[in-house]
Amino acid sequence: MELVLIFSSLLIAVLVCLFVKRRIVVECASLLAVAIALVESILVALRVAAHGEYSPHVFFSVDALGALVMLIISIVGCATVGYSIAYLRKETAQNVIGQRRVRQYFILLNLFLMAMFLAITANHPIFAWIAIEATTLATAFLISFYNKPSAMEAAWKYLVINSVGLLLGFFGTLLYFTAMHSLDGNEFVSWQMLLQNAAFLDPLIAKIAFIFVLIGYGTKVGLAPMHTWLPDAHSKAPAPISALLSGVLLNVALVVVLRFKLITDAVVEPSFSQILLIVLGLLSIFIVALIMLTQNNYKRLLAYSSIENMGIMSLGFGFGGLGVVGAIMHMMYHALIKSTLFLSAGTIFLRYHSTKIAKIRGMLTALPVSGALFFIGFLAITGTPPFGIFFSKVLIVTGGMHVHPMMSALALVLMAILFIGFFKQVSAMAFGDVPTEVEVGEKNIWLILPPLALLVLFVVLSFYLPPFLSTLIRSAASHY
Amino acid sequence: MNHALIQFFVAVVFGTMIFSHLTKKNFGASMAYGVQSLAVAALLFGSFLETQNKLILIVVICALIVKVVMAPLFFSRLIRKHALMFSASTYLNTPLTLIAIAILTFIAHSQKFAAVTGIVPANQALLSLALAAMFLSLFLIVNRKGALSHIIGILSLENSIVVFTIFAGLEQSPALQLGILFNIFIWLMIAQVFISMLYKHFGSLNITSMQSLKG
Repeated sequence: MELVLIFSSLLIAVLVCLFVKRRIVVECASLLAVAIALVESILVALRVAAHGEYSPHVFFSVDALGALVMLIISIVGCATVGYSIAYLRKETAQNVIGQRRVRQYFILLNLFLMAMFLAITANHPIFAWIAIEATTLATAFLISFYNKPSAMEAAWKYLVINSVGLLLGFFGTLLYFTAMHSLDGNEFVSWQMLLQNAAFLDPLIAKIAFIFVLIGYGTKVGLAPMHTWLPDAHSKAPAPISALLSGVLLNVALVVVLRFKLITDAVVEPSFSQILLIVLGLLSIFIVALIMLTQNNYKRLLAYSSIENMGIMSLGFGFGGLGVVGAIMHMMYHALIKSTLFLSAGTIFLRYHSTKIAKIRGMLTALPVSGALFFIGFLAITGTPPFGIFFSKVLIVTGGMHVHPMMSALALVLMAILFIGFFKQVSAMAFGDVPTEVEVGEKNIWLILPPLALLVLFVVLSFYLPPFLSTLIRSAASHY
Repeated sequence: MNHALIQFFVAVVFGTMIFSHLTKKNFGASMAYGVQSLAVAALLFGSFLETQNKLILIVVICALIVKVVMAPLFFSRLIRKHALMFSASTYLNTPLTLIAIAILTFIAHSQKFAAVTGIVPANQALLSLALAAMFLSLFLIVNRKGALSHIIGILSLENSIVVFTIFAGLEQSPALQLGILFNIFIWLMIAQVFISMLYKHFGSLNITSMQSLKG
């Protein structure tokens, strides 16, 4: 029932956006749909925490990690839709976009949210693949939303690289089906069935399949060296879409990789998938550490930070044990804080009309609240204590110290370099004199509330995890 | 279906990939894709003859409509609309391209991939050829500078995977195959819109002319 309500409310919102021209109706329908999705996601999370895996229909199944990601999709989705309303109204007032584009935006946004919910709840690996591919199709036009050459180029790059990646992932997925030879070809094959039949999988095929899956879905996760589309796409999309892309979509793809890791680990030594995750994770952090110092665009800075954080999660899942707990917590914290950062970056863009770091001076004076949100977000995302990301990073590195001390030490050094790079860029934006042409003071409370709500939630969860969330994290960590 | 006929269709899939690499005209590449898709549809029809599952027949008909009729028509329209007759722009010249094709085909037939191509030992040669076609599709995307070639490369990659699944006994249920086909149809529509928008912005479909993200 919960899932039916989520999908039907989002679908109705899409239809309303398609057929109703009044802007207020379009906005209210989208907001209502995502609010319903939030309530239902909480109910699903409570149910999974209390009774374990929830499978209301053969096509759908939600485990502990799935329930957590559903919560992330709906919380960030809610904030994003709320912020989008104010953001697009401001852009319409500035004649950046017209009314028709607003409807297109909300149609695609609702489709995007629906595809992510489908991908995470789908009980069939191919069904999940179709949903992930659908996220690519829904977001391609959102990335090229401003119809500028750079946005078009970024969207094209995104479409081609992700489509190739997902086809490789599709091939890897199919290879896992060799385990099901004993079954009828038309039988519904769920994730659980693949896991139960893993013993029939040839270990060599399992290894090749996991490599294809890791490269394929890893492209969508943004792991290096398949990350090249991410900084362009995330920096060219409208700020609320960047928040969803960075904070949510990457996690959805990572969960699919983890489900295949589980099957692979049942056939070959877990060290095989762990090493691959550690190598790609470290490579992602290393590449971002090299690039961070030379970045001149704050949205790209945030996009690169997403690559780094996906690398950190990958490291955690690779380290295993305590690292997995840290990685799951990091997933939750990163989603909240990165969305806060992108939403406040949107407000900074609306005020300064530029994404160049060199043109942003006196951010804390010009935008006392949004600027502060951005600055606190930076401190939190880089792992400054006492925020949650500090604890999740500590857990990951501690987990790694037992099994791969050198890798953990290297990761720590790279994270320190990243902090310096990030600090150099953000401090340049935060302080100094406000350019004369830039107005001072916050003008729209609706541009402040959504990122503020996300930050408050992030801070609260940094110090207090509700029992149902703790149960979900523990259950997910024991499973993966 | 007759084994020689099956071999012929797989050879057509592989042959059209080589042709796509060598042709200097976009029209040739798009027609090659149409022929390749026809061969894939014929192989799917073979599955229908074996199983007599009417849903597979629907899949075959949908594949024919989307891949054999619509896709080449879309490409032809784009080629005429934007005068994209020639797109021989590649990173490697023809001799080097041929060498790369030979190496990739060799790798697909090598022991490295024996586990994958040996999923159904009786079909090892056909699976190796399908894997080689996959590699050549990827190489087409990497080697060509034209956006249209990238689309053809991606669609050919999907065709090659379909051929692989047929001979590896990994065919999905017709409902899922229809879902995948629907996805491809939407992808094709979106790619077509993007191609037109890219041409409008850059005056060319050569991806090396897209430099607006630099700096």
